[in-house]
Order: sequence, then structure tokens, then C-alpha cells
Amino acid sequence: MHTPSTRRHSGAWSLGALTLFSLALLAGCSESAPPEDTSQEAPAQQVEEGAMPTTRTNALKKIFHAVPSPIETALLLEASGVNFSTGDLHDPAKASGYATTGSQAVNLGVYAGDLSYATIYNRNQEAIEYLNVARRLADELGVGDLIDSALIARAEDNRQVRDSLIHIVTSTFYALNARLKENGMEDVSGLIAAGGWIEGVYLGTRNLDGATQDLKVRIAEQKLTLDNLMSLLGSYPSTEDLAAMIASLEPVETAFAGVAIVDHAATTTTADDGMIVISGGPEITISDETLAAIATAISEVRNHYAN
Amino acid sequence: MKAIQHITLAALATVFALGLSTDATAQCRSFTKKRCLPKLEEYVQNDNYNTAVLIPGDEAELSLTFFGGRAYRLLVCGHPVLGDLNFQVLDARGNGVYDSTDKDMSHFDFRVANTQQMTVRVQVPESSAALQHEGCVSIMVGSKS
Repeated sequence: MHTPSTRRHSGAWSLGALTLFSLALLAGCSESAPPEDTSQEAPAQQVEEGAMPTTRTNALKKIFHAVPSPIETALLLEASGVNFSTGDLHDPAKASGYATTGSQAVNLGVYAGDLSYATIYNRNQEAIEYLNVARRLADELGVGDLIDSALIARAEDNRQVRDSLIHIVTSTFYALNARLKENGMEDVSGLIAAGGWIEGVYLGTRNLDGATQDLKVRIAEQKLTLDNLMSLLGSYPSTEDLAAMIASLEPVETAFAGVAIVDHAATTTTADDGMIVISGGPEITISDETLAAIATAISEVRNHYAN
Repeated sequence: MKAIQHITLAALATVFALGLSTDATAQCRSFTKKRCLPKLEEYVQNDNYNTAVLIPGDEAELSLTFFGGRAYRLLVCGHPVLGDLNFQVLDARGNGVYDSTDKDMSHFDFRVANTQQMTVRVQVPESSAALQHEGCVSIMVGSKS
């Protein structure tokens, strides 16, 4: 049994030991060696970048929802025969007029859509201009260092190399999303994703008179990505901006309700080149009336935010 | 005095736990950039950041739409300290279309004939080690024509 005196000593020792242990472990984490294959190492040596001892014992299930990146959407639009039209893009001059975090985030997404569209269509001057606009809004959101002068210069140097520009755009927005989530600003990341999705569908529905069947199907398929987007927005703790975005997208959901989807089980086959092909899945059809309703609904929500 | 000691210890433990948590989260971005992104080099990466700090026994799921006609690489990238991660791809009805178990592959290359929503389910294997570790797990998707 401990006397009060030994208890005090024991408490002091514990305090000191915990402090030393904490400092040593944290110092070890921040000065981690280059990653190696640690699978054969003793557990005590496995404190390195991306891994460390844990005190958590209860297992959890982490659910992610993702939407196509604006670059992916722009690639689909290009392949579907959509012509580039500068007049459809959001005015870069308006970027300085957004004062709230919500409007800055949504419009960063909208401009990311335009940046991606210009990049895929080799409109290099516009792409660089929209990258600068993205930098301004990212700066307002506190992550401007991810689109710094060096990155802009690298984009300038690679303006004739589409694949390089695509890589710059996707890796920049990946880093931006990562930083926002790391900083506990997942809701802002979600609003950026919403802005990018809205702009992609908006650009795809501007000139439907001569729309190819492929484009019509691609627009109809966005019913599935809208479902992903709504799940994404609903997965974060609600904020006023998130709630407003979800409400703004409800008329778009209503318009997409006219898209018919008949689901079939997926099956896998192997193609001649060895690639696995997943077939089956849904049959998606859309009428011209539904297409027009989607174009109107998306235009209204886009112009509500990008005003 | 005793109360002060308890409060101090509790505060220090909280700071310690928060420090580890924040550090682990911050390190995931760097880990993913160095160890995972290079495996998507030939693909246009999706810019969603689907990374979490997980422990043995945890699961993660990603729901996403895959477009017909495009080729995809699905990459499940976890820190080696977590062991070999298993993952399955499920169609919209919940039917399995791919299972990585016993395949010794961290990625799955495929095409979809028709655009469809699918779910990727990842399991971190249980561990009997006395000292449990947490590590970064990232679910990444790249595509190309």
C-alpha cells in the first residue's frame, strides 16, 4: 500500500514519464525517416510517416462519397462532341466579389470547372487565367499557398502540353481537398465539389439543339453523380451553406427524376487485351423534355451562385 | 494537490492524444503523395481526398460513379504497418464483382461497359500485436480513355 508521500512521488514520476514519453514520440513522428517497408520490423520501430501507435480500440467504419472531378467531366463533354464556348464560362472578374466562405467555396468549384474545361479543350490562355482566379479564391479560403507563383509558372511553362496541365490541375485540387479536410473544413471541400459538379452539367447543357445522342446519355448519367453529390453533402455536419446548397439542388433533383434507370446486375468478363470489363449495370434513357428541364434547373442554380 | 495532479495528467493525456491525431492526419497527405499517387501515374486522378487514419479491424467504403467507356485504376493504398488490406467492389445491388483477397494486389484495373455506381469496401485485418498501430488508408481512383 502506498503512503501519501510515495503516492505523491509516484504521481510526479508518472507525470514526468508521460511528458517525456509524449515529447519523445511526437518528436519521433515529426522527424520521420524516409518511408521503408516496415512490415517486418518490430512494432516499436514502426513509428514513421503515416503510422503510429494508437490508443483507439473500438473499430469504426469510414464512409466516403465521391463525385467525378471537373477534369473527368470535361473529358466526357469533349468526347461527346460539345464545342468550347468562352461565353458559357463564368466571368473571371467576378471572383473578387465573393465575400463569404460559402460563396467563395462554391465559386472556386465553378471556376475549377471552367479551368478544367479550358484545359481539356487546349484553351491555354483561358486555363492560365482561371488558374489565377482559383488562386485568388483559394487564398481567401486560407489555402492559397497550394496555388503559389511557382505552380502558376509551371503551368505557364507547360501551357502547350495538355497532359501536364491536366496533372497540375488534378494534383492541385487533390492537395486542396486534402488540406481542407485536414483543417477540419470538409464542408468547404464539399461546397467546392458541388460548384464543380454544377458547372460541368451547366457547360454540358448550354447548346442542346445539336446535341449528340452520346451527350444526351452523358447528361442523363449525371443523375447517378448527383446522387453521389447529395450523399457527399449530407455526410458532413450541417452548416447553413451546406443546407442552402442541398436546398438549391432540389429542383435539379426534380428535373433529373425524369431520367429513367433500369438496373441490372453487373457481370465481369475479360477483354482481349486482358482488361477486366464490368458489364451489366443500368440502362439509362432520357427524353428531350427532361433534358430541357435539367438545362433550365441547372442554369438557375448555377446563376444563383455565380452571379 | 491530488486534484491538480489528476487535472494535469488528464490535460496532458488529451494534448498527447490530440497531438497524435492531428499529426497522423497531417502525415496522411504526405504519405499519400509519396506512396500512393505515383501508382496512378498513367491515369487522370480523381481529385477527391478519400483518406483516413484506421486501425486493425476498421472498414472503409467509397461510393462512386464509373463511366462507360473509360478505363479505371482503383487503388487501395495503406500503410504497411496495417498489413495486407482486402477490398471488394460491389455493384449497385450489393453484388460482389471483384475481391482482392489472395490476389496480392493493391489495385484493380477495369473498364465498365455501362455507367454505373459501385461501392468499394476495404477491410483492415485484425492484429494480435500487443501494441496496436494506426495508419493511413487511401482509396484512390484514376481514369483514362
